[in-house]
This record gives sequence, C-alpha cells and structure tokens, in this order.
Amino acid sequence: MLSLELLFDITLSVLLLILAGTALHVRHLYTGIVLFVAFGLLLAITWARLGAPDLALAEAAIGAGLTGVLLLAALARIGPEPPPRRPPARALSAGVLGVLVLILLIRAVLPLEQGPQPLPGLVSAHLDTSGVSHPVTAVLLNFRAWDTLLELVVLLLAVLGVRQLQPAGYKQAHAWTLLRAWSRILAPLSVIIAGYLLWRGSHAPGGAFQAGALLAAGIVLLRLAGLLPVLRWDDWPMRALVLMGIVVFLGIAAAGAWLGSGWLNYPPQWSGNLILLIEVAATLSIAASLSLLVIGEREELGT
Amino acid sequence: MTLALASLLIPLATALLLLFLRSRAGAWVIIASLLSLIVAGLALAEVVAHGTQTLAIGGWDTPLGIRFELNLLSALLLTFTALVHLLVAVYAERSRHSQTRDTDYWPLSCLLHGSLAALWLSRDLFNWYVTLELLGLVAVAMIIISGPKAYGPALRYLLLSLAASLCYLLGVALLYGRYGVLDIDLLATMIDANHTTRLALLLMTLGLMLKAALWPLHLWLPAAHASAPTAVSALLSALVVKGPLFILWMLWSRMAPVEVAQPAGLLFALAGIVALLAGGWAALRTPFLKTLVAYSTVAQLGYALLALGLLLRWQQTELSAALWLFVLAHGLAKVSMFLAAGEMQATLGSKRVSSLKGATQTMPIAMFAFAVAGGSLIGLPPSGGFVAKWVLLQPLLADPVHWPWALGVLLGTLASAAYVFRVVALAFDRADPNPPNYNPDAFAQWLALLPALVVWGMALYSEPLILWLTEVNR
Amino acid sequence: MSSTLIFLCAGSVLWLMGLHGLARLHHPIRRIMAINIMGSGTFMVMIALANRGEHSDPVLHALVVTGLVVAVSATAFALRLAVAISAHKSGKQQAPEPNE
Repeated sequence: MLSLELLFDITLSVLLLILAGTALHVRHLYTGIVLFVAFGLLLAITWARLGAPDLALAEAAIGAGLTGVLLLAALARIGPEPPPRRPPARALSAGVLGVLVLILLIRAVLPLEQGPQPLPGLVSAHLDTSGVSHPVTAVLLNFRAWDTLLELVVLLLAVLGVRQLQPAGYKQAHAWTLLRAWSRILAPLSVIIAGYLLWRGSHAPGGAFQAGALLAAGIVLLRLAGLLPVLRWDDWPMRALVLMGIVVFLGIAAAGAWLGSGWLNYPPQWSGNLILLIEVAATLSIAASLSLLVIGEREELGT
Repeated sequence: MTLALASLLIPLATALLLLFLRSRAGAWVIIASLLSLIVAGLALAEVVAHGTQTLAIGGWDTPLGIRFELNLLSALLLTFTALVHLLVAVYAERSRHSQTRDTDYWPLSCLLHGSLAALWLSRDLFNWYVTLELLGLVAVAMIIISGPKAYGPALRYLLLSLAASLCYLLGVALLYGRYGVLDIDLLATMIDANHTTRLALLLMTLGLMLKAALWPLHLWLPAAHASAPTAVSALLSALVVKGPLFILWMLWSRMAPVEVAQPAGLLFALAGIVALLAGGWAALRTPFLKTLVAYSTVAQLGYALLALGLLLRWQQTELSAALWLFVLAHGLAKVSMFLAAGEMQATLGSKRVSSLKGATQTMPIAMFAFAVAGGSLIGLPPSGGFVAKWVLLQPLLADPVHWPWALGVLLGTLASAAYVFRVVALAFDRADPNPPNYNPDAFAQWLALLPALVVWGMALYSEPLILWLTEVNR
Repeated sequence: MSSTLIFLCAGSVLWLMGLHGLARLHHPIRRIMAINIMGSGTFMVMIALANRGEHSDPVLHALVVTGLVVAVSATAFALRLAVAISAHKSGKQQAPEPNE
C-alpha cells in the first residue's frame, strides 16, 4: 500500500519526466521552451519538497526565470528551425543502449538510499565559528569558499566569452512586448525581494546567488521598460560591478595569506562581517554579470 | 605553499586589472607570466628541498574543507604552465600574425593560467568540476577570438564540454552518496569495488576523456584547435587538454581500487595504441596544416593514455614518469609546432599543407622550428620526447611478454615520423617554392623555435625529472 | 521504497534523457535545453542524496547552488554563440549587405 506522500512523489517525478521529454521533442520549438520553463518551475517545487528551499528559490529565479528569458530571446533571433531532417533509423540501437545505461545507473543508485554522511554533522559542529547561522551559506562562503570564488570566475568568463562574439546585424526581437507591460510592476518588486533575500541569507534560506539572480531579473525588466540605459561593458562602473565580487573575495583571501591566518581564513571575530561584505559584492557582481549576459549591449530594447 | 599560491594569484590579479582598465597591453601579461614562472620555480625548489606540502583552505580540514596539495608534480606543472604562457605571450605580443594582438586574448590567457594553476593544486573532486568548467569556458572564449568561422566548432566544443562536465559531476555525486566525502585521498582510504564505484569511475572517466580529447572521444578537437588563433591553438594543445588528463591520472592511480584499475588499464592502453595509429593516419591524410598539427595532438595523447593504461595494468608507478614526461615534452613541442605552422600559414597565405612547398627557402627558421619540434614528437634522441619514450619502453622491453606493446609504440613512432616528414619533405621541394604574401618575419619565427629548443634542452635535465616524476606516486 | 529512491531514479532518467537529446537533436536551442535537463537530472540526484538523513545535507545544497550558477552562465554563453552563428549565416545569405 502506497502512502499518500509516495504517491505525490511518484506523480511529481512522472510529470517532470513527461515535461522534459515533450519539451525536448515537441514539434514547435516555442512550445518546447514554454514546457521547459514549466519544467523548471515544477523542479523548484520538487526541491522544496526535498527540503531544499534555497535551491527552490535559486531554481525558480535562475533555472526557470532567467534561462527561460534567455531561451525565448534566442528563439526570437534564431527563428524557427528548418523542417527536421529525418535522422537515420538508429532508434532501436539507441533504445537498447539507453536501457542498458539506465539499468547500470539504477543499479548504482539503489544502494545509495543509505550511506555514511559525515559532513552534515561536521557542518553543524563548526557552524558557530563560521560567522553565519545558515548552514548552506556557511558552506558556500566559508567552508568551501574557494568553490564559490571560482564560480564567480566562471560567470565572468561567460560574460567575456559573449563579448568576443562579433555583432552581425541582429534581427529585431518581437518577443518582448508582453514582458514590457508587466515589467513596470515586477521590477521594483524583484529589487525589494532581492535585498530581503540577501539579508535573510545569513540565518535562513536565501543568499547571494538567489538575491543576485532576482536583482538581475529586476534589472532586465527595468531595462525592457526603458527605465535603464543600455548596459555596456565599456562603461567603467559596469566593469567595476562585474569584477567587484572576485576582487573583494581574492583580496580577502590574499590578505589572509599575507597577514597571518592563511588563504581564505577569516579571523573569527570578523568572519561575520567579512562574509557579509563578500556576499554583498558577490550579489552585485552576479546581478551585473547576469544582466549583461541577458540584455548587455543591446540598444534596440527599451525604445 | 605561499609561493604556489602566488603563482596562482599573479595571473588572476593581472586578468582582473587588465579587464578593469580595458588594457590590451601584452607586456603586462609577459611580466605576469615571468613573475609567475619565477615563483613557481621557487615553489618547485622548495618542494624538492622539503617535500610535499598541503594546505587546508580557510583553515578547514578535510572532509569539511577543500585541500590544496603541492607535490613535485604539481610544482612542476605550475612551472610548466607559466613557462608555456610566457613563451606564447612573447610570440603573441611580437608576431604580426598572432591574430590576438588587439583582443581580449590577454586577460583570457591570464584567466586560463590561473584556472590551470587552481586545477594542479586542488585535491577535491567537486572543486575539480568547477576548474573543468573554467577551462572549458575560457577555451571556447579564446577560440572565438578568431572570428565567425570558428563559431561552429566552438559551439560544438562548448556543448560537448558541458555534457562531459555533467558526466563527471554525476560520477562525483555517486561517489559522495556512497562514501560521503569529496577529498581524493580520503576517498582512496574508503573506496571498494562495487557497482556504484564502478559506474562513478566510468562516468567520470568518460567525461574526462571527452574533455582531454582521448581516443575515441577526440572528434571535436581537430576543428576546434585548428580554427582558433595561432597562439590560442598552442595553449589549447599544450595545456588545456592536460588538465582533465591530470584529474584522470589522479583518479585512477590514487583512488581507484586495484581490482577495477587493472582491467580498465588494459582498455586505456588499447585505446592509447589506437589513438596513436588513428591520429597519425588522420594527420597524414588531412589537406590542412593546422588540422595536421591538431591530429598530431590526438596521436600524441595516445602515448599518455598508453602509459596510464600500462601503469594501471601492471601497477608500476614508474610509468607515471613516462606519462608526465610525454605531457611536458609534447606540450613544449606542440607550442613550437603550432606557432611555426600559424606563422607559415599566415605568411604564405594558405591553410593547406601543399602551400609549404619550398618553405625551407622562404621561411627557413619557422620550418626548422617545425622540424625540430617534430623530431621531439617522433622521439629522436636526445629530445624530451626521446626521454619520455625511453622511460616508457624500458619496462616494455624487459619482458618478452610485453613486446606487443613495444610494437604498438614503434608503429606510433612510424606514424608520427610519417606526418612530420610529409611536411618537411614538401618544404625541401625547392624547385618551385610558393611565394609568401608578406615579408617573412624572422624574429617571430625565432620565437616559434624557442619552445622546441627548450624541449631538446629537457634532455639535459632528464635525470632529475625522471627521479622526481617517479616519486610523485609515493 | 522511499522518496529518496524515487528521485534518485527520476534524476538518473532525466540525466539520460538529456544525454539522448543532445545526441539526437539538431537545433542548437534544443541541444542546449537537453544539456540543461541533463544538469537538472544530476542536481536531482544530488538533492535526493542530501535528503537521506534526518537533517538535509547543506554541503550538497551548496554544491548544487554552485552548479546552478555554472549552468546558467554556460547556457547564456552557448545561446549567444548559437544566435551569432545563425546571424552570420543569414548575413552571408543576404550578402552583399554589410554587417552593422
């Protein structure tokens, strides 16, 4: 007899699988993207169900929201696909291979239902000395801060990569009209929520990434409503904003190495403040980078 | 460890400075690479004197935090990375044909330098995932500098690289689920051979092999490396594909259980032999010069794969020395070869191998660089390539049972000799030389020759190199 | 049978669907969506693993946050690259119209 909870989980998983499958293979690409966004939102619900409210926020803002906007914008500029070329009928061999890999995967994940988990205990044991009271933030900005620093570099590289592309007479985008109408209402709201999330991150789910993503969404909306000028890498405040997170982070790391305690060691009495400083800088950097990635250098918007 | 951190921090800080100032002055990068090379060399000396050092980042011991480890190999790779960056930066700054002078090549190459340094030092499976993403993105960003023609191969490379990262990440997730830690040495003490471990290793291996362009997952490499600007092709072939190879070597030689590693070693070794032959054959057939050099990378990576395979098969740690000597020698030789090829291609105005007809007359120094670098790839004594091959062949020749492997190496050598002589023979055909479009730039050609001279100089230091690299596994 | 197990399996299937899509589909936007679905599958495995004990595992949650940011950066880059490819292609077809 299945419990109600399990039934819910199974329904959720099946829905996710169906959405993912149709998003990829549906005939019209536009429908596919809409389904993909729906998939992202359902994923956010799944994360909340699995006890990860931080990730639910991040998925809704980054996974569904920003990725959806990016996909729609790309579709508007690439245009509909040419009639599909029928691939050679290799469906059978692909199917057999797929089933084989799936069996291997399932066999590998089955024993994982139980397993040793030394890290959660260690995190809560050291949480007091980390400078923040929310464990995920403590991991991101203290215990594994090096990952986070490098991740900011990844974001910077994406911005730089896009900058290397030579412009070539983009078509005007038409997909934005509806967004524009909404943006005047949504933009201020997203900025307020972003600030709230950042503040909340030190003791509850939230934090720099979610806040940065929401802030970016707000900037995109403001830009679409014509309330912001074109965002350009060539303006130095923009560059300063994008680079700020890494500079502050690296600066603190190097200062720590130089002045005693060590690479990325925060002095215990300051760790709370240093983490807050890094978080604010990272939030602004993430917001600036993501909004550059979505709407950077595009003059035809907001006119 | 402070020195190693400085070697990592210098290029990163330079990149940030260049980006903020929007400066495209190569001199800054040359100075930064030089400084980084010096501190990396000092770090190497420190490790030689005092042994391996570790650093718990943020003061958090494993398994909670991320661990850096500076051993002989990491120090050597830091030095090697800085050296290659310096050599390429000098060429890129000086040559008219580097296609990179007034571009974002400079901050990007610094970021590449920093990312590689982070990879060599890290010992954390998830942190490696982030560094792999860094490498992938920076490589793609640098490829598209050369313009719209490179966009297609770049997108293909980016998508494959992302898929490969996700293969790797799923493997990491499975290992974490089974053992609860991410540090490679901690994992090595706990790991046992079960379904989860095997599949995790398989997934991580496939992802890394795709990223390192190891046969049979190499198909993206020739187009991507050949379409990049010359200086970028050199960095990609010399360094970027070696990052994932390092992680692969770490996983299998340090972490994998022996009963999994031994059968896997056989597969690696066979793939290595096939890579040697298939890569060599493709290099022999392609009409384009840079594609030839790129296929030669696929072939040469076969030696590394063979060394890794035999190392696992026979559990002979000495073969690690052969692997890393190949990586160092190939890196330097390939820098020379790409720079010479790019310089000749731009001066002679054609991408085809056939345009090199009579190049010994029109561009003697660049052709000499190509031939000298080719000599090391073939393994002529006393080059770095020869030293590596010698270390690899010793255990193969010791026992008649192993002679078939030696035959494979011999065939690979013949293949590389064939594609190098294909170019050199054409260049000596002076009857009707292809006239250059521009005046050949002698100084830039000398700069292309420099790395090849370094790789022949490696032979002078072969004894300490072999000694150090044999010890890295202990 | 527990919800951890359900989502571990669902994550594996999603990962595989993404990989299959990447191999079979041609349109760049579809391939990029496929990679994102592959990523979502991986994250689902990680979050399901985090949910095993009494308390959820903050380390895995942090890793997924990092993974999400990496994924969105790469997606944005790949999409702009795809757009640039199609723009240059159509620019070539309408030649000799000069680029802006």
